[in-house]
Amino acid sequence: MAKVLENLRAKTVGAPWFLIYRRRTENLFFQLLMYLILFNIAFTFLYPVLYMVSTAFMSIEDFVDPAVYWVPRTLNWDNFQLAFLGMNYKVALKNSLVIALVAAVGQLVSCSMAGYGFGRIKFPGREFLFLLVIFTFIVPPQTIIVPLFILYRKLGWIDTYYPFTVPTFFAAGLRGPLFVIIFRQFFRRQPWELEDAARVDGCGALRTFFRIMLPLSKPALVVTFLFSLVWHWNDFYEPMMYLMKPQNFTVPLRLSILQSSLNEVTGGQAGEFFNEPLIMAACLLVVVPPLILYLFFQRHFVESIERTGLVD
Amino acid sequence: MKLTLNQRRALTGFVFIAPWFVGFLLFMAKPFIDSFWISFNTVDMMAGFSLKWVGFQNYVEAFTIDERFVPTLIRAVRDMSVNVPVILVFALFTAFLTNQDLIGRAFFRGVFFLPVVIASGLVVQQLFAQGAGRLASQSQTMAMIDVPGLIYMYLGPAAQIVNDLLNRIVLVLWSSGIQILLYLAGLQGISGSLYEAARCDGATDWELFWKITLPMLSPILLVNVIYSIVDSFTDRFNPMLDLIRNYAFTGQFRLGYAAAAGWVYFLVIFVIILAVVLSSRRWVFYAGERD
Repeated sequence: MAKVLENLRAKTVGAPWFLIYRRRTENLFFQLLMYLILFNIAFTFLYPVLYMVSTAFMSIEDFVDPAVYWVPRTLNWDNFQLAFLGMNYKVALKNSLVIALVAAVGQLVSCSMAGYGFGRIKFPGREFLFLLVIFTFIVPPQTIIVPLFILYRKLGWIDTYYPFTVPTFFAAGLRGPLFVIIFRQFFRRQPWELEDAARVDGCGALRTFFRIMLPLSKPALVVTFLFSLVWHWNDFYEPMMYLMKPQNFTVPLRLSILQSSLNEVTGGQAGEFFNEPLIMAACLLVVVPPLILYLFFQRHFVESIERTGLVD
Repeated sequence: MKLTLNQRRALTGFVFIAPWFVGFLLFMAKPFIDSFWISFNTVDMMAGFSLKWVGFQNYVEAFTIDERFVPTLIRAVRDMSVNVPVILVFALFTAFLTNQDLIGRAFFRGVFFLPVVIASGLVVQQLFAQGAGRLASQSQTMAMIDVPGLIYMYLGPAAQIVNDLLNRIVLVLWSSGIQILLYLAGLQGISGSLYEAARCDGATDWELFWKITLPMLSPILLVNVIYSIVDSFTDRFNPMLDLIRNYAFTGQFRLGYAAAAGWVYFLVIFVIILAVVLSSRRWVFYAGERD
């Protein structure tokens, strides 16, 4: 069999083989080319991050010094200190964490339930309602932001955690419909025999869900939790709308008012300190928590999408 | 009251989607309809949000009087139509590369997915402002060969677009992380036996690509296209977002006008996506059974 394939392979001509499917090539040249391209792309991707890290450590003299490109002369931690104070980091961090964690849990609970209902239980109007889910995925937040703001204002939720957390328990929230779709696709692929067996053993729908389906859906749970966490952490639009007082701001939001907050901290001398390295240090402070999460759970982020069976 | 089996099942179904349904009504449907309603009024924020009917005036104003709205809209669409193909092609290419049996594959996947995790709107904006958005290795050579000049000379009016793209290229590529993953998942779902069978029948490599890989990928392609379009219109620090926010919350606080602008924006997106989905029947190939 291998010989047959070998002959076939020798005969084929034309497209770069790597476009077809994966196999390790004996051809060293192609391997090197592959690595070259990959490294190039990887560097392009990492360039802004490297830029951010290296600039954050620079003092202003280093920054304007044309001889200094990547490595600053000294590791300057001042920018971080200033950014930390200027962003009121401790408070902002707490805000961001609370919102991100609660929202992630909320979407876990509600989207999995909705996905299960759409994916496994036949009820009238199911297709139509699911079309609505897809529809809500397409509607841009700008369209509904105005009435939502009015609603939250009437409820007295402005400047609190509620606008970010409560909707997530109802499968709304940031990218909520997407998670519903993911769960639905996942649950649809599970064998029906499982449910039959559960029913024979006397499980009602609720128990089937909690005892059998939910534990099975770990990939989808992981995807939802991680993505929800990260997206809520990085979200800038909704906090900007719903939070008014600076002490309630999330970390990315604090970045936006950095210049004026600096004035408070430095006693009116913000202009002197507000420069690119400082901004980069502040950006790093925004980015570091999800980055740490990513470093530890990178495998889960990347592989979990494949495992949910969202595809095919 | 004894329910039939089907009725009981239907009831369970409703119970499970009840949270979603409540959320949908409260946080999606009602604001959606409200927004539609508001767009035909002006809102007096001082007098406790009282509405005054003005008919289509907001819409007319958006298109004729406001000098910012239409250009911003056009720019958003133009940006999307340039970015999305670039993202899709690049993601496909990268997915192929990382699908190979190379050492360090996990490292590359980790790198390509990193931007998804750290791309907060403002951070990205800052990086762009400081020029980190250009291709690092190219920026010096570009200055030397005066690439912008060359581009203008050869491309004419399209040059502006290409130039914009090149300046933003890193940031555009950064938003392709999820698409790469989706493609990867799709690629790995194509069974190798298809290729072997085709080879036995004497297919060349190009044929394999066009006749097997692409068609098997087309459902994922559709998902990617829709996701990329939606992402491009809603996620990045988008001029449209800023504009609507400006209308609503700064200056004159014109909520009715902002609602109208939001609705026009939505309609544009909707039409585009509808066009994509309708056309998908021609180029999407579903292997196996479709429910």
